[in-house]
Amino acid sequence: MSDEEHHFESKADAGASKTFPQQAGTIRKNGYIVIKGRPCKVVEVSTSKTGKHGHAKCHFVAIDIFNGKKLEDIVPSSHNCDVPHVNRTDYQLIDISEDGFVSLLTENGNTKDDLKLPTDESLLTQIKSGFEEGKDLVVSVMSAMGEEQICALKDIGPKN
Amino acid sequence: MRQGYYQSTGAADMAQLQATMQAIELACNSIQMHINPAAAEATLLSLSQSPRPYQACQFILENSQLPNARFQAAGAIRDAAIREWGFLEPNDRRGLISFCLCFIMKNANSPEGYVLVKVASVAAQLLKRGWLDFTPAEKEAFFHEVEQAVQGSHGLDVQYAGINFLESLVSEFSPSTSTAMGLPREFHEQCRISLEQDYMKAFYCWVQHAAFNVSDGIIGANSEIPEVKVCSAALRLMLQILNWDFRGKNTIENSIRGMDIFYDGMKQENDSLRRSECILVQPGPAWRDVLISSGHVGWLLNFYTALRQKFSCEGYWLDCPLAVSARKLIVQFCSLTGTIFPSDSGNMQRQHLLQMLAGIVQWIEPPDAVSKAIKSGKSESELLDGCRALMSVATVTTPLVFDELLKSLRPYGTIALLAALMCEVIKDLMENRTEEETWSWVARDILLDTWTTLLMQLDASGHNHSLPPEGISAAANLFALIVESELRAASASAFSDEDEYDYLQASIAAMDERLSSYALIARAAVGATIPLLEKLFSERVMRLHQGSGTSDQTETLEELYSLLLITGHVLADEGQGETPLVPKEIESHYTDVTEVVKHPVIVLSSSIIRFAGESLDPQLRRYFFSPRLMEAVVWFLARWSSTYLMPPGESGESKGGYENYNNTQLLGRQPATSLVSVFGENDEGKAMLDVIIHISLSTLVSFPGEKDLQALTCCQLLHGLVKRRNIICHLVTLDSWRDLATAFTNERVLFSLNAAHQRSLAQTLAVSASGMKTSEASNQYIKSLTSHMTSSLVELSSRSDLKAIAQQPDMILLVSCLLERLRGVARASEPRTQKAIYEMGFFVMNPVLIFLQAYKDESVVVYLLLKFVTDWVDGQIIYLEAQETAAVVDFSMRLLQLYSSNNIGKISVSLSNSLLSEADAEKYKDLRALLQLLSNLCSKDLVDFASEPIETYGTNISQVVYTGLHIVTPLITMDLLKYPKLCHTYFSLLSHMLEVYPEIIAQLNAEACSHILGTLDFGLHHQDVEVVDLCLRALRALASHHYKDRGDGKVGLGSHATSYKDPDGKFHEGILGRFLRSLLQLLLFEDYSTDLVSSGADALLPLILCEQSVYQNLANELIERQVNQTFRSRLTNAFQSLITSNNLSSTLDRMNYQRFRKNLHSFLIEVRGFLRTV
Repeated sequence: MSDEEHHFESKADAGASKTFPQQAGTIRKNGYIVIKGRPCKVVEVSTSKTGKHGHAKCHFVAIDIFNGKKLEDIVPSSHNCDVPHVNRTDYQLIDISEDGFVSLLTENGNTKDDLKLPTDESLLTQIKSGFEEGKDLVVSVMSAMGEEQICALKDIGPKN
Repeated sequence: MRQGYYQSTGAADMAQLQATMQAIELACNSIQMHINPAAAEATLLSLSQSPRPYQACQFILENSQLPNARFQAAGAIRDAAIREWGFLEPNDRRGLISFCLCFIMKNANSPEGYVLVKVASVAAQLLKRGWLDFTPAEKEAFFHEVEQAVQGSHGLDVQYAGINFLESLVSEFSPSTSTAMGLPREFHEQCRISLEQDYMKAFYCWVQHAAFNVSDGIIGANSEIPEVKVCSAALRLMLQILNWDFRGKNTIENSIRGMDIFYDGMKQENDSLRRSECILVQPGPAWRDVLISSGHVGWLLNFYTALRQKFSCEGYWLDCPLAVSARKLIVQFCSLTGTIFPSDSGNMQRQHLLQMLAGIVQWIEPPDAVSKAIKSGKSESELLDGCRALMSVATVTTPLVFDELLKSLRPYGTIALLAALMCEVIKDLMENRTEEETWSWVARDILLDTWTTLLMQLDASGHNHSLPPEGISAAANLFALIVESELRAASASAFSDEDEYDYLQASIAAMDERLSSYALIARAAVGATIPLLEKLFSERVMRLHQGSGTSDQTETLEELYSLLLITGHVLADEGQGETPLVPKEIESHYTDVTEVVKHPVIVLSSSIIRFAGESLDPQLRRYFFSPRLMEAVVWFLARWSSTYLMPPGESGESKGGYENYNNTQLLGRQPATSLVSVFGENDEGKAMLDVIIHISLSTLVSFPGEKDLQALTCCQLLHGLVKRRNIICHLVTLDSWRDLATAFTNERVLFSLNAAHQRSLAQTLAVSASGMKTSEASNQYIKSLTSHMTSSLVELSSRSDLKAIAQQPDMILLVSCLLERLRGVARASEPRTQKAIYEMGFFVMNPVLIFLQAYKDESVVVYLLLKFVTDWVDGQIIYLEAQETAAVVDFSMRLLQLYSSNNIGKISVSLSNSLLSEADAEKYKDLRALLQLLSNLCSKDLVDFASEPIETYGTNISQVVYTGLHIVTPLITMDLLKYPKLCHTYFSLLSHMLEVYPEIIAQLNAEACSHILGTLDFGLHHQDVEVVDLCLRALRALASHHYKDRGDGKVGLGSHATSYKDPDGKFHEGILGRFLRSLLQLLLFEDYSTDLVSSGADALLPLILCEQSVYQNLANELIERQVNQTFRSRLTNAFQSLITSNNLSSTLDRMNYQRFRKNLHSFLIEVRGFLRTV
């Protein structure tokens, strides 16, 4: 673990673990799972047996929630898998700086300035144009295993 | 069009025709060479869409050197003529058909067969299009030519062409193969009836003679001669005619009287439950002289026998087209049945079948020699056709007649031959297991179908008939061989690793079907087969115990697996929702067994259950019970217990059996048939039930992560048990059942069951509450089952650190588990337990809302919450009292609002496209659940068991549902409506609401109203017929409400319906006018199923009545657009008669709707043809 990651975590919620163990058989489609150290969302689960009279195993196809890459894993279904703690927090958007960082208002009145604008074209234009029009925008930030990313945007009416 | 394909009135302009031909040839060439295909297609299309392109087409057909161009020209004639048929002169119509017929006769020797086939099919389609208008003399004139040709008076080529034309004609007139012509189904039916009655037999005779006349030449020749082509075409046509779905006189009379002509066909389909694809040939008494008494069959059989001798000659072989057609025809003759045979107690039919069998037997006898010949390279087609023929014979006779048939030719019966054949096939399968789709696979399936056909008849006859003794021993031998082959297959495949999951599923379904057929064979010889199964089973269990812990047992396990499946099928039927009885063959065979312990069925069942009980021992479980074997055990227990455990027909000694008093007398069962009562509601039965529950609990606890096994246990075994009332009564008294309930609420390990199984288990446990003696006890039981879950949910939701911990995976898992369980319980709502289940839901109302907020980004949990509420409301709503209803409605509205505020205007992003589409799918599922919730609320207005009207507490369901729709519809985007299920749910709810409460729409504000109506307009142009139908019903409701209301001097739809100019001077049309325009547009210009015309009419009539002036304007607009004078006047008349003919009045009663439907039908037939011309 690098120091940097550790630093992030303690800032978000001190003491909380990043992943939780959970039996592979209980992880369903649309749930989360850690594959090769990456937090993923499961898009497909299938079960098969190891040999005809062996035990069941689960075959997961999952997509990295941050970079969208596809990953696969096979786990005996009675064994435990790591499940990431995926958190989503809503912030009000205060400012967009020249260098591509956003300034967000946290619940307790502080600002959070360490997040970059998303690379996704459509969201980027939505955020920029919405902001320029003076709309009141709320962004949803998804965080898991020490990474953060803006994942959704909501327009809560024009700024007064 | 741009090139201009106009036909000039006088002498056609040659240059013009040449130019057209060149354009078409060029287009055809460029399509073939892939040069600018779009433009080429447009050229071709413009030919077929231009008005009256016939002369150009005929010119091309006669002069073009390019076959493709001729092909296209023929197609263009067809398209144009079908479209313009309504206003072609009778002479032109006849002329087109004659032209096509002459063309095929004249060019019969042309090498481009496909052009001829196309022209023949065009002729057939046009003939059919005018079939009901032509006089008999006119038809006679066409057919005279054809008859001459078929008889061969113009040479072989023309003969062949004539037969081919008849083939096209027959297939065009058969509804399943006919081409769509934009006409109602009645038209096709009438054509088919007319052809069957007046021409079919004549056609048959023509080709029969044709075949007969060329056959001698073929037999005499030593090599392939041109006659062969004619002969096989003739045989093919005969086969096609025999395949015709004959309806006979009755139907024809019914259809004349206007009765439902489709009914007969439906009934026939329902009769045949078999999966065999054998079509019965039932042409009726009129065909007796041609098919039976003329010696036609004898000629056919002799002809084929003679043909067989020639297979060594050049040009003839076993699979040459002529031989194939002849064999198919012979097989078809085997399924001849019905009134074509006189009622002489089946004598003539027996004679006929005997004659057939005598011919066929040469193909399949002796079975071992035939099989050997095939293995050394002979074609298998004769054997397969022989098997098919046997199946046909089995279909049209009873098993006894079937068996007797062969006895007059051979020392043994047909069943013995059948068994011998099947044994050969099974032997071959055992040798070549690895290869797939060999001849023996196909033969096995056909022969199994034959057995099924025979044995199902025994079953259905209701008497205690069985096969003749010789047949029984044949069946016993066959079954022994089958089991041997299955076991060998099992042990050979024990180590193969099956990865292809989908493939496996498909093969399981196929295997189930196969095993059911095997079971029928086994039951035909119960006396031998059940002891055999018992012996095989005990042997393997013993082998298992001897080798325990030392050697690899996988092969034995797989054999046991296979044996369990076979035995389950033999002993018991699948209930398919009903309670299956002990199979008749088993019950009637053992009437004389007095000592229960020696009853073979009981011995077999007991030894399997004893073996199953060994799974409770942890050590034995580790050694023997692999998950797969356990699956078979649980499957067997489920199947077995639904037939043998506490059967409902048992005598009245039962304590809880308030339903089955004196059933013994009713069913006339003697206590001596001890089979039923052994595991009845006495101690033996209860002990058995106890064992089964113990085994279920142990599979749930001791096989963690084995989803398939858990699914079988929860959804089949336990679910099956609680379906039966007399079992439930005992179930709730058992300690093991209480253990299961306790484990369910407390054991950690059961929280790791799959979500669906959690739900199913909760439902099962809740259903069993109805076995309690009093309703207080039931409610108390539910309370104790659920209180633990509800209080955990309440506790979790009220935690102060909820926001921080809610998204932890363990918390999500726990909450989802609890919700799944509550949902399961909610689905078990019954009047008796309704109170307790209502309280359960009431208790968690607040937590549900809190969780909906806390998990707003966790789609899995949100969906669960919505589904729980939907199911809970569904089970509760009709029983609720007014006050409770008010609470539920209020809760539902808060839920809707919260969901909407969390989701409206939200845009999710992700780098991954598949995650984005997942998010869409999740949204769709949520919305569907919400719409279901609204529909469930809706049902309160229809069925209500409350003691006082719900309005007492100010609840108005229609208001509530509209408010709900108002909240939900903005979330439903047009994109989401592309999900068929959501679309369906949405439009059924919408049309229901508009039909029942049209007045509410007037109270909606303009924005809400326009959104709802916008979706209606979208639905009107949807692909799905049902959706369009729903929208049309909604429209009808809206318009007729407005019309009637206005008639009574009320507001109707109020401001929504009136047109006005807004301050900017822009004109806003009222909604009804808008829909009138869009509906008329749809009906006249777009493609839709003819089934929709009636509901279209029902919507159109009130719309026209509401907006008469708009209708007039629209009509005038359309009329003025028409340049052609004739069409113009036709259109004017049509619009006029649409609203006047048939004494149409301006009321909205049933009669008037009916009249208008007729008017619209004839209106569309009259004008759609030329309106749609480009």
